[in-house]
Amino acid sequence: MRAEPLAVMKHTLRFLALAVVFLLLAWRGAAAQGPAADASALTVSGGLASFEVSTNVLGTTVRGKSSALTATTLVRGSAAELLLERLEATLPVASLKTGIKLRDQHMVKYIFQTADGQQPDLHFTAGDARCVRVDSVSPYSCSAAGTLTIRGTPRPFSITLEVIPEGSGYQVKGDGKITLTSYGIERPSQFGVRTGDEVRLHIEFSARTGSKTSNPQDLPNPVQ
Amino acid sequence: MTRLALLLGAICVFLHTSRVAALPTMIRLGYIDCASCHYSPQGGGPLNPYGRAIDEAQSLRAGEYKPRENGFVRAISWNGRIAQDVRVVLPMQRAWAAHETTASFRPRLLYRNVTELPHGFGAYFTITGETDAVPRSTVYDPTPRTSSPIVNVALLRYRVTPALELFGGRDQLPSGVNVPDLGTFIRQRNRLGAYDSPAQLKLHWAGRRHRLVPFAYTGGGNEADGERESGGGALAEIDPIGSHHLVVGVNVLRGRADNGARRMLGAHARFGIGPWGILAEHDVTSRTRGGVDGPFRQHATYGQAFWAAREWLVASLIGERLSVQQPFAERIQGGRLELAARFTSIATVSASGGVQRNATTGRTSRSLQIQVALKTVY
Repeated sequence: MRAEPLAVMKHTLRFLALAVVFLLLAWRGAAAQGPAADASALTVSGGLASFEVSTNVLGTTVRGKSSALTATTLVRGSAAELLLERLEATLPVASLKTGIKLRDQHMVKYIFQTADGQQPDLHFTAGDARCVRVDSVSPYSCSAAGTLTIRGTPRPFSITLEVIPEGSGYQVKGDGKITLTSYGIERPSQFGVRTGDEVRLHIEFSARTGSKTSNPQDLPNPVQ
Repeated sequence: MTRLALLLGAICVFLHTSRVAALPTMIRLGYIDCASCHYSPQGGGPLNPYGRAIDEAQSLRAGEYKPRENGFVRAISWNGRIAQDVRVVLPMQRAWAAHETTASFRPRLLYRNVTELPHGFGAYFTITGETDAVPRSTVYDPTPRTSSPIVNVALLRYRVTPALELFGGRDQLPSGVNVPDLGTFIRQRNRLGAYDSPAQLKLHWAGRRHRLVPFAYTGGGNEADGERESGGGALAEIDPIGSHHLVVGVNVLRGRADNGARRMLGAHARFGIGPWGILAEHDVTSRTRGGVDGPFRQHATYGQAFWAAREWLVASLIGERLSVQQPFAERIQGGRLELAARFTSIATVSASGGVQRNATTGRTSRSLQIQVALKTVY
């Protein structure tokens, strides 16, 4: 049975109209979903991580820092927001320095050493973090919630990130807090000077973008 | 005679009579004041147990401080209530000025004691014995009468809270950047030298980011005739950005004696991060003297850039400047390189070499100094 040419044209036009509507809806949906599907792998090595903890003695604060922070994440970016996926960061505890060698040894022994004498790296992992900015000149900001593992004990941890585009990469600053008691760590004390329970953490690094990928599995492991 | 006077002046200027007191360079490690390591919040005097641990950790030996707990130590420390030490300072000096060379060796012995008493009271004593006195090299501010031994500190403390302490007795007045070297212009020319220990009442109020020390004082009894000065002032310091690596402060003082009066306004800063840092102070003192028309002004400046090559080894480049208006006109500039090595908590050795030019007389002098400091630790 042959169809009427007019009916065929009508069906074709209806199909095309539906297709256009579908495509429009699909495009809007994708736009609402956020950044482009293409993602770049970000790798960090030699990032700066520092901590600060007050003590019971006025005017005495213990600070330490390391420039051995390594991290990886996958970034999907648009003008308005950045999506950080599969965020991982690692810091060797032996790289943290407070300016006094003996104090560094005490810190590793009393804070980071496990009962069986191991000194595992600090490790942070987080899922997705959506960073937004209010206008094109402001930095992206977001909170990355995940797990920070200290001396093998994982605990929930979130860090506030500020991401500034910089050439083909980003400059990132982050601040967070932990409490020693939440990790079952006793506050260290030396001849009457005892640290507080709350430790403020700060990270700062420039990250370069690597190869573009749409598969999170393609991410490199953090440099050890 | 003129040559001899010139040489004597140069020696006095160069004889850096370090009391081996607090180390403001410790700001590089986040210590914004002296109270963390010293019993006295003004610095100097015996170290508290934490200070002894830091002292040992910052030495070449870098060992653990282990307090001795035997019966003898318990007896002499009144079961831990008394902290005391004996210090020997051996400065050896050689100076060249106006074709004259001189050498000096002026050992000093110090006994320092802090006794904790009940109800927040405490007593501080420092007694110094020396072989030769070092007069102040100025005509408009005569040196106090020297003696050996001399009581530098005899102070009673009442601790209202850990942040608020009241002191009364004999001590040095609070000073700005608080360098231990008593021979610097900022100290020597502002009555903060080796023999200046006026009777005083002072309040020490400290917080995590500030320090305020108002004080009133009168003569300590060893001043030259007509130089017994009474007055008051305040030292105020703040950590402006809360980093614990920068402190800025001001020091004001107003005093009057029979032979004249002085008003001092000083500003200072301590900054240090990682292995290096800077200490700086500038003081302006307006003085009047009997028999002299009108006031004259004195400017004293101190600058030190330091670098801790190792925890136990600190190199410093120090610059100083002094200018005094007529009728006591003086313009002196100097600089020196200093190396201080703490081998153990017991032994510190420092060496310095410097040059100084007196623009008023056109003379240049040079000096070398080696100082060995030994103290008891238990």
